[in-house]
Amino acid sequence: MANLTQSTASRLARRIGDRGPVREFLMFSLTGELYGVELTRIKEILSPPPITVVPRAPREVIGVCSVRGLLVTVLDLRRRLSLEERPLTRRARILLGAAESGEVIGLLVDEVRHVVRLAAGEIEAAASALGGDVAEFVMGIGRPSGEFLILLDLQAIVSG
Amino acid sequence: MAELSDKAREEFFSEAQEIIETLSRNLLSLDASIKSGASDPSLINEAFRAVHTLKGLSGLFGAVRLGALSHRLEDVLDDLRLGRIEFGQDVLDVLFAAVEAYTRILQAEKANSDDELDVEGLFTELERIGAGAAEHQSPVAEYELDPGLLAVLTEYEEHRLRANIDLQMQLYRLRVQFDLSTIDKALEEIKERAKRHGEIITYLPTGEATSADTIELDLLMASRDDLATLVGSLGADNVVIEEIPRRARRSVGAGTMPPRHQTSIGRADSVALQRELDKGGLETTSSLRSLTQTVRVDIRKLDHLMNIVGELAIVRSAFGRMAEKLRGEGQRKLAAELLRMHRNFDRRLGEMQDGILEVRMVPLGQVFDRLARVVRQISREVGKEIRLVITGAETEIDKLIVEELSDPLMHMIRNAIDHGIELGQRRVEVGKPLAGTIALNAFQKGNHVMIEVEDDGRGIDLAGLTEKAISLGKLTRNEASELSRDEVLALIFLPGLSTRELVDDVSGRGVGMDVVKTNIGKLGGVIDVHSETGIGTKMTITLPITLAIVSALMIQAGKHTLAIPLSSVSEAIAFDEAAVRMVDGREVITLRGQTLPLCRLDRLLNLEAAPDSMSRRRFVVVAALGQRRLGLVVDFLYGQEDIVIKPLGKSLADVRGFAGATELGDQRVGLVLDAASLIEEVLAGVEAPRTLERRHG
Amino acid sequence: MPRILIVEDSVSMRTFVRSALESDPRSATGIDVVEASSGFEALRLLPRGPYDLVITDINMPDINGLELISFIRKSELHRETPVLIISTQSSERDRARGLLLGANGYLTKPFSPEALQSEAWRFLSGTRAEAKPHG
Repeated sequence: MANLTQSTASRLARRIGDRGPVREFLMFSLTGELYGVELTRIKEILSPPPITVVPRAPREVIGVCSVRGLLVTVLDLRRRLSLEERPLTRRARILLGAAESGEVIGLLVDEVRHVVRLAAGEIEAAASALGGDVAEFVMGIGRPSGEFLILLDLQAIVSG
Repeated sequence: MAELSDKAREEFFSEAQEIIETLSRNLLSLDASIKSGASDPSLINEAFRAVHTLKGLSGLFGAVRLGALSHRLEDVLDDLRLGRIEFGQDVLDVLFAAVEAYTRILQAEKANSDDELDVEGLFTELERIGAGAAEHQSPVAEYELDPGLLAVLTEYEEHRLRANIDLQMQLYRLRVQFDLSTIDKALEEIKERAKRHGEIITYLPTGEATSADTIELDLLMASRDDLATLVGSLGADNVVIEEIPRRARRSVGAGTMPPRHQTSIGRADSVALQRELDKGGLETTSSLRSLTQTVRVDIRKLDHLMNIVGELAIVRSAFGRMAEKLRGEGQRKLAAELLRMHRNFDRRLGEMQDGILEVRMVPLGQVFDRLARVVRQISREVGKEIRLVITGAETEIDKLIVEELSDPLMHMIRNAIDHGIELGQRRVEVGKPLAGTIALNAFQKGNHVMIEVEDDGRGIDLAGLTEKAISLGKLTRNEASELSRDEVLALIFLPGLSTRELVDDVSGRGVGMDVVKTNIGKLGGVIDVHSETGIGTKMTITLPITLAIVSALMIQAGKHTLAIPLSSVSEAIAFDEAAVRMVDGREVITLRGQTLPLCRLDRLLNLEAAPDSMSRRRFVVVAALGQRRLGLVVDFLYGQEDIVIKPLGKSLADVRGFAGATELGDQRVGLVLDAASLIEEVLAGVEAPRTLERRHG
Repeated sequence: MPRILIVEDSVSMRTFVRSALESDPRSATGIDVVEASSGFEALRLLPRGPYDLVITDINMPDINGLELISFIRKSELHRETPVLIISTQSSERDRARGLLLGANGYLTKPFSPEALQSEAWRFLSGTRAEAKPHG
């Protein structure tokens, strides 16, 4: 039901010319695909420091690392989204976000691209962009300048 | 406006908590003083002031329920302190009930819950007591008190004055000059001395001063002693003592008569007092009620400070390395200087670390006081007379741990009173004193704090316990017959074995020793039990002193650098693969005649092996907690280091075996092993009678 | 810049009063709030005035608010300084005494920040920043 309303709304919006509030998204790549996360949700972007593996931790937890004295749990976003894992290059980065509990979580991504701006009206629903089991992490689809961007809900990912 | 309320609101809860605790301590002291026949009016007044403050604050912060209770309680306490109501055991009981209600209400307010709290019964009781108040007057006019002084007495102070007059006390005015800079100490000094002679009713600044840095106060005092005695004890160059005379029966008209004696004292005594004042080192007696200079601190700020100390420790190490480097490059002088700075820094850092740790520590007395109230209540309920003996209340422990202790301790005491201590008659029959004794002992032992709960009751019924365990299916009769005495005792820690049938008021839920053990385990501690039939039971809790900075043994297992808190390590020995035997499917070695179960860390934790691990000699680190031991096989021992343990995030809450992580320098992180949890995990098979194994040694 | 002395033994009450004073728009150009946790501390702090307003609780141990007011009215420096009493509803007698001794106004607990601001600025409005020498 919501999908219908949203695409109708976006069509209407484009016709009228008012796209709604503009938000900024950080674009990054995972397994060759492009993803985006709302910029305001990201506390920091950093090169991965040495990560200590935590034995017997859940699969998507790579381990822990220290960011200026703060202990951060690092998740592998590819595992979280059940994507194929390619070897990491030196362009890999960690995005820091805060979970509902206040815990700071780091997300490991293949490469960070740039920031794009999308108006609310430009975000389409993504009923079947990814598999059903990760639908809760997907906020919608964006197409800045022709690129196809899957927008993720950072809050849901780090709190899940 | 929202911001200011949030901060003030937090402070409000903090202050309310303190006030309630102070009130509780006061009531306990009053209880004791009633029994011993003495009565200290200042205690009642303190209680009144506490409730009065709480009432005011509740109003400000919209804590309606707290305010309502405070209002009624304040009325009763006011009547009590002004002498309108007789003080007695039944009144005290109602006051204790009020403190319990306070605690419940405060929790509800904090959680913003709207739960209906049944306080009607309490309110009725309070009204009943208040109804008996009577007006009480007595002539103050008999004394020639300066009207200026009378005018500035508050209602309470007036009452104290009248009360003292009723007791036929003499009244004195002490005019004292104080140095503004030392007034606090000088005042404490005079208060202490004056207390031995009587009561100081009020302090009034006279408004005359000999210089800008001094202030003159008039102290109105009531005492049975005569002027000479007072002058001998309190007189000094800066003190002038006058007796306030009673008006002669046949007084002539208005106007005060000149005071009878005006004495300033001989040089000898004044010099002595002055020397004491100069020393300024008179100690106030330490009692739980004594006012100390305190600051309330948010424990998160302390954690932050600890983090900084931890990071400074890393910087300190960098200094050391730099010094080495300089020396290697031939810069001997510079290197030596840097090393000197490094040592200095190290020393100061250690001091700071100790200082912060000290701040986190609070005396166990905080919890013990609450427990004393509980004991009183329960002993009434079950009709057994209990004598509670507390030692070591001044033993300090990390604030975080203290908070979590009151529930487990309360359950243990409940059990002791319910099941341990026999009914009075029975005790007399077997030759024990009528009143049962429960001892709460706390003391420090190395890096741990030990808390013992001991009773002189009937001891744990081993046979009954075993029967219950069998009937609950925890073990078969055959298995039961093979248990050692200690193993039978340990049965009480199994779920269901010690749960009370009824949900009780005190804790609000069914209690069991399994819950107690789990909660203590969460604090990083263990619990042991000893019992002798007919003689008594003793439970011992062993707790780490602080959760923050610990001394740890750094080890290598596989590719991992790990830390084990030294408090859990009893020794480390070389590992001889050939000495390993298998007993009941478990690897063990023999250490000084005793069997030590082994655990290969790399296998247990699925650690990636380091490339050359096979060739090197390995080690066994013997982890010990309480009476249990486990040998951890590791690849390498680095040595001792002080580390700051940071807790793992909530997303890793289910991972067993780790107490947290610590920074290793170079931004690397090392995991910290939780010895208690590892021992549990590996030895679980040995303890639960279900998979019973023969125990050695 | 107006200087106010708060004499009150409860920490949260002091914080409350301070916040109320500092958050009033009239204090935007600057306000100096000094806290004393007891009558004794007030005695120490008073010579460091002059203060433009003193707000005091009545029921404090040892030197109570009435004694403090009496002292203030006898002192050279603060003979004319406005004094605001904070008292409880039930202590009518103490409040009356306070006014008789020379206090200029009172607030009964519980009171709102607005009530405090209103009373306080009744006395502060006449203050001229550079009027009296400080220290």
